[in-house]
Amino acid sequence: MIPVLKEIRSDILRISKTSGHGHIPTCFSVVEILYAIYDTINHDPNNPIWEDRDIFILSKGHAALAHYCILAKFGYFDIKAVDSFGAFMSDFGCHADRLKIPGIEASTGALGHGIGIAVGMALALKIKKSHRRVFVLIGDGEANEGSVWEAIMVAVDLKLSNLTIVYDNNMSHLRGLQIHNSADRFRAFGCDVVVVDGHSVKEIKNEMNKTSDKVRLIVANTKKGYGCKTLIKNQYEWHRKSPDEKEFDLLMVELDEETV
Amino acid sequence: MRKQFRDTIMDLSAHDEKIVMILGDVSVYLFNEFKQKYPDRFYNMGICENTLISVAAGLSSHGFYPFVHTIAPFITERSYEQIKLDMCYNKFGGNIVSCGASFDYAWDGATHHCYTDLGILRMLPHIEVIQPGSRKEVDVLIRSQYNNGKTTYFRLSDHPHDIDIPVEFGKGVVLKNANANVTVMTAGPILGNVVEACRDLDVNLIYFHTIKPVDKATISMFKDTQILVIHDAFGLYEAVCEVPGLSVSYHGMPDEFCCWYGQLTEVREKIGLDVKSIRQAVHQKLQTPQRR
Repeated sequence: MIPVLKEIRSDILRISKTSGHGHIPTCFSVVEILYAIYDTINHDPNNPIWEDRDIFILSKGHAALAHYCILAKFGYFDIKAVDSFGAFMSDFGCHADRLKIPGIEASTGALGHGIGIAVGMALALKIKKSHRRVFVLIGDGEANEGSVWEAIMVAVDLKLSNLTIVYDNNMSHLRGLQIHNSADRFRAFGCDVVVVDGHSVKEIKNEMNKTSDKVRLIVANTKKGYGCKTLIKNQYEWHRKSPDEKEFDLLMVELDEETV
Repeated sequence: MRKQFRDTIMDLSAHDEKIVMILGDVSVYLFNEFKQKYPDRFYNMGICENTLISVAAGLSSHGFYPFVHTIAPFITERSYEQIKLDMCYNKFGGNIVSCGASFDYAWDGATHHCYTDLGILRMLPHIEVIQPGSRKEVDVLIRSQYNNGKTTYFRLSDHPHDIDIPVEFGKGVVLKNANANVTVMTAGPILGNVVEACRDLDVNLIYFHTIKPVDKATISMFKDTQILVIHDAFGLYEAVCEVPGLSVSYHGMPDEFCCWYGQLTEVREKIGLDVKSIRQAVHQKLQTPQRR
């Protein structure tokens, strides 16, 4: 694990501990994906509404804390600002508000919404004949929502080749409605599908740089809690739990030792 | 009203390249000319109302003025969360234009009836809720509101009234001020029945095409009278009741599904919204003890 990814994970742990909020395992599953996205897309932290920027939407809004930590790492704001995560009157809610946080393109939280908005944004850029691209990150649990599949059908029908959907296949779906063979399902819907190691920044970036005449869909195989064996082994317990001091120390040691 | 909607859109589109039509497999033939003229801004996106709203929000975020158009219950009740979050909460405004509300599709039964749309949408922040009653109202109100950046709901009907009244967004219309003790308030196409029922009765008559923001100043002018809201939907009564200190009652929707099929006029008669029944309701109101 490259040092910056450890730093981001330690930020997530620290802020979750002090705030008492955050979905740590789902945040940990998307750190590499988010890092790869912001390390690839055209964006300017000094001008978040730069009119030539690419668009990224976190449709699986529960991972907002990871998104904040990534944005801070890329220079959108100081990480100290995120210390108020979830607090009364904080700008940094447990689900992001686009009107409060620079770099957030759409306020998400209710699952199955961000992807539809992303489809509309991609259509807008297509009408404008813009070279800008739209990226959206959805979760496998989120894909239980029918609106996800509606949006994909529409995107494919509209031939939105400027849209890339990243599917965080962190096995959340095993808790309820299971979506096995997800790559085959997306392929059947008409997407250009690739499967990558979701914890390999290099693999994700390599696929993000490719273009297609179809909607691109990157199935990123990940682990909830990646980086700490305690989180991976006890992901149900840790789904929405913040560490106390003792647990924090343990998780930091595990993170340092990369007990994935 | 749908033809007027089409005509207004065609006229506006001649000068505004930001208008995008998103149809839910409804009125497709009606907008054929638009499709021919502006193929990159016409989308019959199919029967997927949730996504129609989300896509409109995305288009709006990049400066377009989307018009989402399909049947009322499906675009409002089914897609309420998309309207609430993707459009209103995100402040990605756009235009939602429904058809077939209340009992325009009487024969299709309860699945196609829609009388909650105005009531539920008016509860959302950052939304305008409009129920035009005539072609003129459709034309004037779309022109004045479509590009203001807000989410605006227009509820079209296939049964407009034919009364020519002044139209200004957000303004109620005092059709008759007889200094009477009873004031009838109504909205939308049912105005035709209400006017006929009240023609020779000693009542004041107020009309609204804008449910949100409702014209509280005009309502307040009649605060010392007994107010009777007559409406073939929910929404207006609740809006009127936001003015404090009023005495308001409601004549309209029953607390049951209206599973009788048939024609609009037959359903209206069954639930007491035909001319004769409305007249009886107003008569009854006139006979109740007065406030002043």
